[in-house]
Amino acid sequence: MSGYWSEIITGGKSLVTGMMITAREFFKPVVTEQYPWEVPTMTPKFRGHIELIGNEETGAPNCIACGMCQRACPSGCITLSSKKNENGKGKVLTSYVLDFTKCSLCGSCVESCNFNALRYSMVYNLASFDKNDFIIDLMKRLEDQNICKR
Amino acid sequence: MQTLVAQTGAAPSLFSPEGVVGIIFLLTVALVVAGAFIAVNSKRLVRAVAGLAVCFTGLAGVYYFLLSPFLAMMQMLIYVGAVSILIAFGIMMATPEEQQSVGMKSRSALAGPLAASVSGLLFAALSLLGLKTEWQVFPREGAGDIKAVGLALLTNYGYVFELISVVLLLAIIGALVLAQKGRN
Amino acid sequence: METSIWRALLYLVGIMAFAGVNAAWLGWCERKGAARIQRRTGPMEAGYQGLLQPLCDGAKLLSKQLLVPQGVDGILFRVAPVLAMIPAITSMVVIPFSENVGARNMELSVLLLFALASIGMIAILLGGWASGNKYAIISGARSVSQNLAYEIPMLVTVITVVMISGSMNLRDIALDQQGGFWHWNIFRLENGHFVTMWISFLIFFICSVAETNRAPFDMAEAESELVAGFMTEYGSMGFGLFMMGEYLNIVVGACLTATLFLGGWDGPFGMTSGIWWFLIKIYILIFTFIWIRWTFPRVQIYRLLNLSWKILIPFSMANLLITAALIKVF
Repeated sequence: MSGYWSEIITGGKSLVTGMMITAREFFKPVVTEQYPWEVPTMTPKFRGHIELIGNEETGAPNCIACGMCQRACPSGCITLSSKKNENGKGKVLTSYVLDFTKCSLCGSCVESCNFNALRYSMVYNLASFDKNDFIIDLMKRLEDQNICKR
Repeated sequence: MQTLVAQTGAAPSLFSPEGVVGIIFLLTVALVVAGAFIAVNSKRLVRAVAGLAVCFTGLAGVYYFLLSPFLAMMQMLIYVGAVSILIAFGIMMATPEEQQSVGMKSRSALAGPLAASVSGLLFAALSLLGLKTEWQVFPREGAGDIKAVGLALLTNYGYVFELISVVLLLAIIGALVLAQKGRN
Repeated sequence: METSIWRALLYLVGIMAFAGVNAAWLGWCERKGAARIQRRTGPMEAGYQGLLQPLCDGAKLLSKQLLVPQGVDGILFRVAPVLAMIPAITSMVVIPFSENVGARNMELSVLLLFALASIGMIAILLGGWASGNKYAIISGARSVSQNLAYEIPMLVTVITVVMISGSMNLRDIALDQQGGFWHWNIFRLENGHFVTMWISFLIFFICSVAETNRAPFDMAEAESELVAGFMTEYGSMGFGLFMMGEYLNIVVGACLTATLFLGGWDGPFGMTSGIWWFLIKIYILIFTFIWIRWTFPRVQIYRLLNLSWKILIPFSMANLLITAALIKVF
């Protein structure tokens, strides 16, 4: 008989506890982000697709077209071409194409770069109906960014 | 409602309150008859139970017209809400096949006519009885409300009331015995 | 009272409107409430705070094909959702919203509500059986055993209220509790009823949650084990009617609880009484229904039945005896 009463009492108590917890949650602020209307900011460590870093003043890519990233990429995503620098020594980047459809975001390219020329972008909302949209011309992207900056 | 009980003379107009009440009365009677027919004729047991529920609902309406709303409510609560549901429950628990039909195979040629004549005789006899009897009009006890019913049950009909409790006791004991048998 | 056709028509339209608005927007309230409790936002897109969501849902349900699957019992399958909706709307007829607002002042209104509730039970049973689906049949059987088990303590607690007020008329019961919260049946000072009546209130409320097949007693729906129970085979407006019937049953349950235990339209501290108090009370109760649903997980069927037979019924019986004794002693 004592089990009967104690069960009722503990049961009732647990019910009240549960109700109190949900009541408290009810008045706490909402944590959902209304995505298309509220855009989240990515954390610095976020790994988007890679992008080229431009020179602070000129806006030209820091890349010296050494090709380390191309060699480091296990999936062969990166295709770059260059020509000889006419003014001085070294090479100038002419095109840098990333095939993001094959990229596994391993980050080997960024690690292998010794010239502060590659970084992860903050782009997270990549979606498209066309596969070709993910073959990204990073040179053009850098130019667009430079135009935006100015 | 009261006007309907002692209605003689010319039929009231369809659109007068009496006329509308009369139509509703006819509808309840139709409900009883239709429900009973469904209950008897349908081959699926659950449909038959649904017909029974319809019939009970109609009966509740008839009780209401007989100026006893309490009985009408109890009819709904007990017969529609409990009895027919329990029957349906039993059928659902018992039949392994969903679409099992009632056994209509092993009937002799005589069964149909015999049943028809017996029920016809019964109907005729009851109708005759209803028509020939000199009906006494009993005074109404209260407004058919629970107070009157309660008082009547515990004073004039106390004996019947006690007997009903004996019946209930028997039913409980019977159920216990049956359940015990099933367990062994 | 003068019998005028306009009064009847006005109440007909009013009750239909009240029922329709409640059935539609309680769905919104539930989604919002559930979302808040889980710290989400709920519907936001259609209208301000998603207020037009019920209209969109309704349009979507109405425009879907009324599919009657193969192997169902056609007539019963079509009748069941209507049967689920009718008693819920009809119940509104006898509910006294305030002293002067109420369609029908009926002597046996409490009894009528329970008689109508039993039709709702038939709807679930027939809908479940007619679907010809094992999940639906199991759900129907569960729901009936649950409803029968919880009808007993519910009726017994109602009898205690009827004994205190000496009437089965909801309006008389509410009139009997006028004049501040200490007159309400739940905390009634007179004759010392407050000692046990709050237990009656709890029993009644638990039973009304169970009778309306709401979580944590939604054994009939039980998505995780029975797909959607008796609603498995229903789509479009058939499902919509079941859904609206469920919400209307909640409204009726809240109205009944407010009238029987919380003084109907009476203001708590002798304030001006009126229909707004009744509405405030029923919406607090409805919010509690939602709150309970999103707090507790579904119980097992055995525990559910044990709760009724082992705890609620003995307690309600004891309450009945104590109340009768209190009435006699004082």
